[in-house]
Amino acid sequence: MKYNPVTEEILAELREIVGEKNVMTDEEKIEAYSHDETPAEQYGHMPEVVLTPNTAEEIAAVMKLANRELIPVTPSGARSGLSGGAIPDHGGIVVSVENMDEVIEIDYDNLMMVLEPGVITNSVNEMLEESGLFFAGYPMSVETCFLGGNIAENAGGGKAVKYGVTGRYVMGLEVVTPTGDIVQLGGKRVKDVTGYDLKQLIVGSEGTLGIVTKAIIKLLPKPTQRVGLLALFKDEATAISTVPKIMTEGRIIPTSIEFMDKLSVKTSCEYLNEHLPYQEAGAMLLIEVDGNKEDVVNADSETIGELCLDNDAIEVYVADNHTTRERIWSVRRNIAEAFKVVSPHQSLEDIVVPTANIPKLMPYLDEISEKYEIKVPCYGHAGDGNLHATLVKNPDHSMEKWFEIEEKALEDLYRATKELGGTLSGEHGIGSKRKKYMEMMLDPAELNLMRGIKKAFDPNNIMNPGKIFDLE
Amino acid sequence: MNIVIPIKQVPETSNVKMDEETGTMKREGVESIINPLDLYAIETGIQLKEEYGGKITVITMGPPSADKALKEAIAMGCDDGILLSGREFAGSDTWATSYALSEAIREIGDFDLILAGERATDGDTGQVGPGIASWLDLTLSTYTSKVVDLNLVEDEEVNYTNVEQDSIIVERMVEDGYEKLELPLPALLTVVKEISFPRLPTLRGKQRSRKVEIPQWNLGNLDLNQEYLGLQGSPTRVVNIDHPKVTRGGTIIDVREDGKVEEAVSKLIDYLKAKELV
Repeated sequence: MKYNPVTEEILAELREIVGEKNVMTDEEKIEAYSHDETPAEQYGHMPEVVLTPNTAEEIAAVMKLANRELIPVTPSGARSGLSGGAIPDHGGIVVSVENMDEVIEIDYDNLMMVLEPGVITNSVNEMLEESGLFFAGYPMSVETCFLGGNIAENAGGGKAVKYGVTGRYVMGLEVVTPTGDIVQLGGKRVKDVTGYDLKQLIVGSEGTLGIVTKAIIKLLPKPTQRVGLLALFKDEATAISTVPKIMTEGRIIPTSIEFMDKLSVKTSCEYLNEHLPYQEAGAMLLIEVDGNKEDVVNADSETIGELCLDNDAIEVYVADNHTTRERIWSVRRNIAEAFKVVSPHQSLEDIVVPTANIPKLMPYLDEISEKYEIKVPCYGHAGDGNLHATLVKNPDHSMEKWFEIEEKALEDLYRATKELGGTLSGEHGIGSKRKKYMEMMLDPAELNLMRGIKKAFDPNNIMNPGKIFDLE
Repeated sequence: MNIVIPIKQVPETSNVKMDEETGTMKREGVESIINPLDLYAIETGIQLKEEYGGKITVITMGPPSADKALKEAIAMGCDDGILLSGREFAGSDTWATSYALSEAIREIGDFDLILAGERATDGDTGQVGPGIASWLDLTLSTYTSKVVDLNLVEDEEVNYTNVEQDSIIVERMVEDGYEKLELPLPALLTVVKEISFPRLPTLRGKQRSRKVEIPQWNLGNLDLNQEYLGLQGSPTRVVNIDHPKVTRGGTIIDVREDGKVEEAVSKLIDYLKAKELV
């Protein structure tokens, strides 16, 4: 596909549509829109122009123009993504929803909220704080990411064991289609089988099928009590074998079951100057339960704690207040940051395998680590099998060698993941980062169905082209 | 080696909202936690107990719900808790608080060492620890950053001095370094963060703490001078709450307004030159 450049005439037309001050071409300003949280030197690409429209109608007009002129359009949120989804791979226009950050309605009678896509996810819950309600979408980047991006990526996070992922809470969407129509999908309806569920098709479509301009999300009553447990185990297999027992024997669905291997815990603790007795532990589980009754939540946490001890946990710590909860969670949250200190170059992966197969994956990771002389820490959401195995560049290797290793090691990793019934990405998405592994992972017939859907939505292939898969 | 640790429950302040009219903190819905510096006192106590034996009693003055803080300390490894609670204590300042706590500690009786956090995050005075030492006429080391050794008379191997009394050797932070002190026991130390790293409560500790009965002490079972208690017994008076005025206004050069980065930069340079800063 050959796209056309953004000419002065087109810029003038864009200024007409979104207003002078919402058009950016200054290189210094638009540089920020050329990358997300993936390494910029590998995946970054400059846009030609960045627009910050204020309405769906403006975006629709931009899409009509882009179709007429064959200019690629890339939707952009907070750019905290981890797969390159918001990067304008083919230049062209970036449509940033940052100005569309209004809370349109909090509907207490239906337990729903209507928002624009540029609202920061964390602020949703800050706004709801006094209402006794909350939005259960909880990606780890909650303090920076936008709701629109969460929907586009179907973000997951640390509470998915109990609350599921973002898509579960999306009741309705207003979407500008690639051809410039504004459609209302779903609504404030708990049940709806009126035709295909296009709303859920948009969720997780990584900005390739449309731009979300409004979202109706479902709210839940907010639990008042939380207790965290940090359990130390001698090795990964022992830790992971405890996970299913929590649900089958304990009959409890925790809010979170996070897993950290020895290398992750050690690196994070050293980074934080945290004095947990991590030297003795080969792996840790961070388990949290929530609810509304203090004694029930305490009893649940005790049941889980006992299960861990029965399952050879070395020690189980209890965190039932803000100070201690923050301490154990910060170990988990700072792992990625801690490895950036070890080496700024890494490939943060997002594989997902059936939960019971997590221990089987570990020998593969050790193998990759040894074969390529790189560190491969593994941590993530044990409760749902979603693991952030990370390839960390060996500081002694040159960048060329690293790129070479990264590609081979990723292939090894994905092959092992597939063998164990797993797949490429649980919550970060494919974007451009994992695109080349799609054919290895998916059946050709399935990929062709996806291509067909893309063509039906976007006949000129101008909306976020080159993401997830190539059309040809 | 018996240790008493007075602790305080404070509001968790990472997400505090202020009442803009009164200038005070909104306390509704704010979780209470053990004063962070008290955790370092607790950890130090537990380490001393692990080495020298004995038992640790934590004590706090507060509403009945403050027993949660005592239970947390017990879950970390302390043995007993005592809660000073009653209407007569309400509104006590540091003078009245240290009086009530010192009388309760006198009632506990058998102790060698009192450990306290250097200050509380809410009041920020650092006075209660030294106050208790003063009421009980104990030797005192504030800003204690290290316990160097214990010098026990019956322990002949570790006898640095000729003092015929048990003593503790500590380091404390002073403005230009550290000061090493030997204090005869019983003594009171207020501690700073450098002294230790607080452990997390364990499941077994939590289970034990749930079983521990916390006695509640007040005028009914302590021989206290009522005139020294509560708001009326407190010499401190809050006359006025004032907000410091911001005396330095910033100058913002906004690139978005000026349009060009070069222009904004040259404006900044002119500004700095005018102030003779470059």
